[in-house]
Amino acid sequence: MRIRTHLPFVFTAPTMAVLAVLAFVPTIDAVNIALQNRELSNPDSVYVGFANFRMLFSDPRFLNSVWVSVEWEVITVAATMAVAIPLAILMFEATSPRARNALCVLFIVPALLPRVSAAFVWRFAFHPLFGLAVYPLRLITGHPIDLLADPHTAMATVAIVDVWQWGLLFAVIIVKLLETLPRQPLEAALLDHARTWEVYAYVALPMLRGALISLVFVKMVESLRAFDLIYVMTRGGPGISTETLDMYAFSQGFIESGRISYASSMAVLMMIATTAAFTILWRRVRRWQEV
Amino acid sequence: MARGVSAFVARAVIAVGAASVVVPLLWTLLSGFKNRVDIVTPTPMLFFHPTLENFLYVAERESVRTGLLNSIIVSGCSVLIGAALGLPCAYAVARYPMRFAHDIQFFVLSLRFLPPVAIAIPLIVIWLDVGLYDTRVALVVTYSLLTLATTIWLAIPAFKRVPAEIEEAAFVDGYGPYAIFFLIALPVAWKSLIGAVVFSFVLVWNEFLIALMLTTSDAKTLPVVASEMTQLGRDVPWGILNASVILLSLPPLLFLGVLSRFLSSALKTRNQG
Repeated sequence: MRIRTHLPFVFTAPTMAVLAVLAFVPTIDAVNIALQNRELSNPDSVYVGFANFRMLFSDPRFLNSVWVSVEWEVITVAATMAVAIPLAILMFEATSPRARNALCVLFIVPALLPRVSAAFVWRFAFHPLFGLAVYPLRLITGHPIDLLADPHTAMATVAIVDVWQWGLLFAVIIVKLLETLPRQPLEAALLDHARTWEVYAYVALPMLRGALISLVFVKMVESLRAFDLIYVMTRGGPGISTETLDMYAFSQGFIESGRISYASSMAVLMMIATTAAFTILWRRVRRWQEV
Repeated sequence: MARGVSAFVARAVIAVGAASVVVPLLWTLLSGFKNRVDIVTPTPMLFFHPTLENFLYVAERESVRTGLLNSIIVSGCSVLIGAALGLPCAYAVARYPMRFAHDIQFFVLSLRFLPPVAIAIPLIVIWLDVGLYDTRVALVVTYSLLTLATTIWLAIPAFKRVPAEIEEAAFVDGYGPYAIFFLIALPVAWKSLIGAVVFSFVLVWNEFLIALMLTTSDAKTLPVVASEMTQLGRDVPWGILNASVILLSLPPLLFLGVLSRFLSSALKTRNQG
């Protein structure tokens, strides 16, 4: 029924042009800067080829930050799903629809908070001397415990805040997805004397497989944006134990030395690695969802 | 009996989850009304003489006022740009068979893969070179990338949910393609579209890293100002900090209802369609 119209072109071309400029100018320039030796204090610079990249791979602090980022990625993605799926099932099984709706609204709140706010709320709660969250620990042991200042616990403590924001949001999403499932297969399984957990493990969750895989994918992308939490809670410390890639790039480019080219070479590597990894993963995700 | 016990355990776990949201937030709210001596107690204090001092201090600070104004202008403008350019684009992708529809969707999604630090570092140099570093213009332009990508991504399914029959009926009644978009599709999909636009607002209001790197004084947004509150003195002024955290968190929470409904309706139709 469609007549020939130029609407699709008029509506998409300008937007795509703007998006392309906004996206490609910085990314191309990132590469351009990474090949120079520019510093913030000094606008004069020359091209140095791949010197920055060679330097990166013999920089122990860079290698540390790669490791920290990978660790952060694995911990937060796994913990988020490990909180979200059981919590969603419990909510679906043990609460009335009204209570469930109220909980769903409540559990979105942490995700809506600016990460700076969430980080401060919890930094306050984990304060060694008067923090509410460590109060029981303080009572039992009798002395203050600074979880954020201990290299062994700092990363896990920051990860708690990330899971607090994302795990609860994902629980809400999974509950809503469970609500849309047809009842018959679940009831049939119960008639066959399946236990409650078996109904979920073998019937309900496999039915949601596509959606759950997308959620893991979303969390993987979002976990790369840990900067706000880490900046406010630990600044990469104690030492460099929570210094992720973006934190290190920031401190190289800004705080410590203004080595903007060096920071940019890190950014370029991140860009290549994440874009490649997520493009491949996304194609996979699409395939898994279609099966 | 076993069922009673497991239901009890389940409710206990859920209660712990709910407490993890309510208690820290309530504590931050209460501490915003506390004097310094009531915060720095070894045993947490539930009853105290409330004071407005922290909020007054925050409200009177020049940096907070500028930050608030900057945040409102920057997120407002970038959200408007995102909606004005993004919604028509999303409609075209959703409704018209196009050769590049899939590529457009993937391109928009892949923008989300870019690490913000990777965009921010070259942008420092670019904005310095053109003399717009530390201005609201630079932030608005940079944030438009975020709002555009988000609005398009979320608005495509919203437009797809508009029944095609309505648009066909309008076409039979003699409406042109543009009239159908403005007079039919937009009003019908309005509720979901608001959700998409509000979501992009929350995203840029909360944004921190890019703002931190692209501003030094004049164009600082509220999250950056709040993050610097710890540097006020030797001791972290927790009362003032809590007050500013509350101020910063209010705007996104105002939209809690809108976004929660948006989430529900998006997930409901997703599984049916």
